[in-house]
Order: sequence, then structure tokens, then C-alpha cells
Amino acid sequence: MKEIFADLYNKVVDFFTKTEEKEESKNVARNRLKLVLMQDRTNLNPRLLERLRGEMIDLLSKYVVMDKELLELNFTPEDDQLALMLSIPVVRAKDEDEIEEAIKAEEAEKERIAKLVEKAEELDEDSDEDDEDEEEVEFEEEIEVEVEANDDNDDEDTSNEDEKEKSSEEKSEESEKTKKKKKKKNKKKKQQETSESQEQQEKVEEEVKEEEKSEESETPEDTEKTDDEKEVKEETSEE
Amino acid sequence: MTGRVIVITSGKGGVGKTTTTANIGTALAKAGNKVVLIDTDLGLRNLDLLLGLENRIVYTIVDVVEERCKLKQALVKDKKNPNLCLLAAAQTRDKTAITGEQLKKICEELKEDNDFIIVDCPAGLEQGFENATAGATEAIVVATPEMSAVRDADRIIGLLESKEHIEKYNLLLNRVRPNLIKTNDMMSVEDVVEILSCELIGIIPEDTGIITSTNKGEPIVNDDKSLAGQAYQNVAKRIMGETVEFLNIDEPQDLISKIKAFFQNLFAKKEQ
Repeated sequence: MKEIFADLYNKVVDFFTKTEEKEESKNVARNRLKLVLMQDRTNLNPRLLERLRGEMIDLLSKYVVMDKELLELNFTPEDDQLALMLSIPVVRAKDEDEIEEAIKAEEAEKERIAKLVEKAEELDEDSDEDDEDEEEVEFEEEIEVEVEANDDNDDEDTSNEDEKEKSSEEKSEESEKTKKKKKKKNKKKKQQETSESQEQQEKVEEEVKEEEKSEESETPEDTEKTDDEKEVKEETSEE
Repeated sequence: MTGRVIVITSGKGGVGKTTTTANIGTALAKAGNKVVLIDTDLGLRNLDLLLGLENRIVYTIVDVVEERCKLKQALVKDKKNPNLCLLAAAQTRDKTAITGEQLKKICEELKEDNDFIIVDCPAGLEQGFENATAGATEAIVVATPEMSAVRDADRIIGLLESKEHIEKYNLLLNRVRPNLIKTNDMMSVEDVVEILSCELIGIIPEDTGIITSTNKGEPIVNDDKSLAGQAYQNVAKRIMGETVEFLNIDEPQDLISKIKAFFQNLFAKKEQ
């Protein structure tokens, strides 16, 4: 008799305690864990993600006018893979003239940099590099790029929780700070190199060192310019 | 401002160091203190998960040590409480990536504009423990009323005693189950305190709410109804110098849990 009563009691208690909240928290944990584990396994480094973000902005801004602040780069688990979701608030597409202009400007810049690098190589052969361990990122996952027009934002973005938006904003703020910091560092280094030659040459030397680390031949030229875009480029060129 | 540096340690893994760190830190911050939590478990970080900050980490303690960023940049602000910050451990490196001296330097720097720096120590006695304790002047030893945990806690207390910079250490007894103590199936709080002869700073009852709070990435002190949350809040008060009575965790508070406990006891006896 006691057993029957106990069984009944337990069933009633279970009915009331197994609320939706418990189910929810379990799913929250599952999703959070999935994401974290994928990041751990793929060795994705948030700092490198910021660089990727910067490069993406550089590339895309050649073709579209967009709200850079609202650009979101997130990882979301999809089936067994990690999907890189890029949401770009597009203001408008650039027309062909603008695109060509941008490409031309870029090519001109590349040429100028190439010349500067040549000069620097002639000038300077000292190779006391203070190299940091550059970490390589291998994206084994498929990279999905989602380009959304500004109007469509509501559909998918809101599902991505406000928190994520906030966090990505914070990250971008932080990354900007670091870029500025790096700039400061560069300047300090320059001050230490007390050579009588012009500042420009020193800058070039600096760039060459960075160049040696990277395989790409894209480097910024003037650290003096305080453009955000320049800073982003500076960042990316180090890779 | 000169902050206090408190290391949370235990020797044995799985007794609740990280949970304790997250909860004490949150409770101290809620009381208006400026708090920084440092995760020193390099390669096996988890404090970020308990605080729900895993997606906000850009820089880690290793980045600070290797001067890839400033200390302030690496501090991740809590979602709710701006007084609370996390300095996360690196997930991709091992314990040799930082030294005790480096951690001490970080603590000294954080002391200047924070009230409390709580250091979450990794399990074990090796480099990780040495690193975590290097900058601390106080320690909280977490143990559960189990033989293995108490034995390991005793080892840790021995080591802490040999460190001159540790001015005081206290015991926090975690995952206490009053029902089992009542049936003499678990060592009581008094037993453990007597064996370890160490002053008690908190008794935290076993609470299923810890699981759901971890799932959500929100420390249980944010839940005022939870018994474990209240217990952690009391620990924070004691850290701040208040004298607070230990919570009465013996009696289940409301009628339903009393009935539930009655039946649980009934079944427990049957199973035997």
C-alpha cells in the first residue's frame, strides 16, 4: 500500500518539477557546449577571428557600401560542422565605376608598396627580427558566407540573441583598441631605433620585417594615417 | 586601493573550485566590490562557461604575459555586473606557459584598482598550483565530506602553511548532504573540521540548482531562493569581515520537501 502511495506521489512531484525550465536549461547547456567544443577542437583563436573580420571588411567594401559597425562574424554549429556565419548589413551595392575605382586604387597602392619594399631591401639588410609566434589557422570547415540585405536583418539576426550582438560589438571595440596599441608599439620601436635617416625609411624597414613573416605582398605604407581602414590593413598584413 | 588576492584551491578535482570561484566572485561584486576572477587552469579553462562569458573572450592570461595585449584589454566584463571581470585562461597552451612570478605581477597590477582578485587554481599540486598561489595572500580550501577530498585538502593545507606569503586560509565544505549526515552515511561538518583543524568559512549544501545554473552560465548566487546560493552569499559576507551564522541546512524548509525527504528516506532504507 505504501509503495503504491509513494509511486503516485513521485509521479505527481515529477509532473510538477519537470517544468519547461529544466528542459530549457538542458538545451542551453547542449548548445553552449557544442559551440565551445567546436571552437576548442578547431583551435579557433578570437584574435585571429578579428583579423579575419578586418580582412572581410576590406574585401567586401570594394563592392558594397555597408555598415561596418554592425557586421557580425559568428560561429554556429550546423549538424556536425561549424559554420562561419557572416552577416553584413548592406546599405547599397556599389556601381561598376565605383568598384573599378576601388580596384584601381588598390592596385596603385600595391605598386607603391612594392616600390617601397624594394627601396627598403636595398637600404637595410639587418635582420634582427623580434618575431612573435604566428599562429596558423586552418579552416577545415566549410565557410559559409551569408550576405544579407539590410532589410532582411530582422529574420535571422534576432534569432542570434542580443547577447551575441553585444559581444561582437564589444570585441570590435576591443580590437580597435589593440590596433591602436600596436600602432603605439610600432612608434616606440621607431623611437628606439635612433638613426639619423628620415622617418619614412624606418617605417619601410619596419614593414619589411613584417613582410618577411607573411607570404602575401600586401603591406600598408603610412602608419601616420589614422584611418580605421588603414589600421585594419596594418593588422591583416602581419599575418 | 589595495585589493585582496584570494586563491581557491583543493588538490582534488571536481569538488567545486570553479563553481566556488564564480559564485563568491559574483556575490562580492553584487555587494559593490570591484572583483577580478582569474582562471589559471591553462588548457582546461571552465570559469568562462560558468559565468556564461565563453563567447566574449578575445585575449587570455597568456596573451597578457606574452605582451600581446594590455592587462585591461584582457579583462572580460560580466554580462550583468560591471564590477565583475574575468581574466580567462588560454585553452591552447599548457601550464608551463606562465610562471608564478608572472602571475604575481598580474595580481599586483590588479590589486591597484580592485577590491578582490579571486584566483581559480587547477587541481593537483604541480606547477599550476604553484602559479596560482604565487600572488595570493589568502586561500580558501574547498573540500567535500569524502575521504579522498579531505585527504587531498590536508595535503594542500600543509603546502599552504609552508608558504610565507599566505597569511590565512579557510575551509569551505561543499556538496554537503544533510540527509546522508543524518543517517550517519556521510562525515559531518564537525568531523571534517576536526580532522583538518582548519577554520570554516562556509558550508554549501548539495543543490541540484547548481546543475541548471551551470547549464545557463549563470552563478547560483543570482538565485535568491536557492539554498546553495544563500550559502555562497554568506561566504562572501564572511570574506568581507561580517559575522554571519552558518545556514541551517539540516531541515528541508517547506512542506513539500519535507514530504519528499520522508519518502526518499523510506526508499533509501528499502534499498538497503
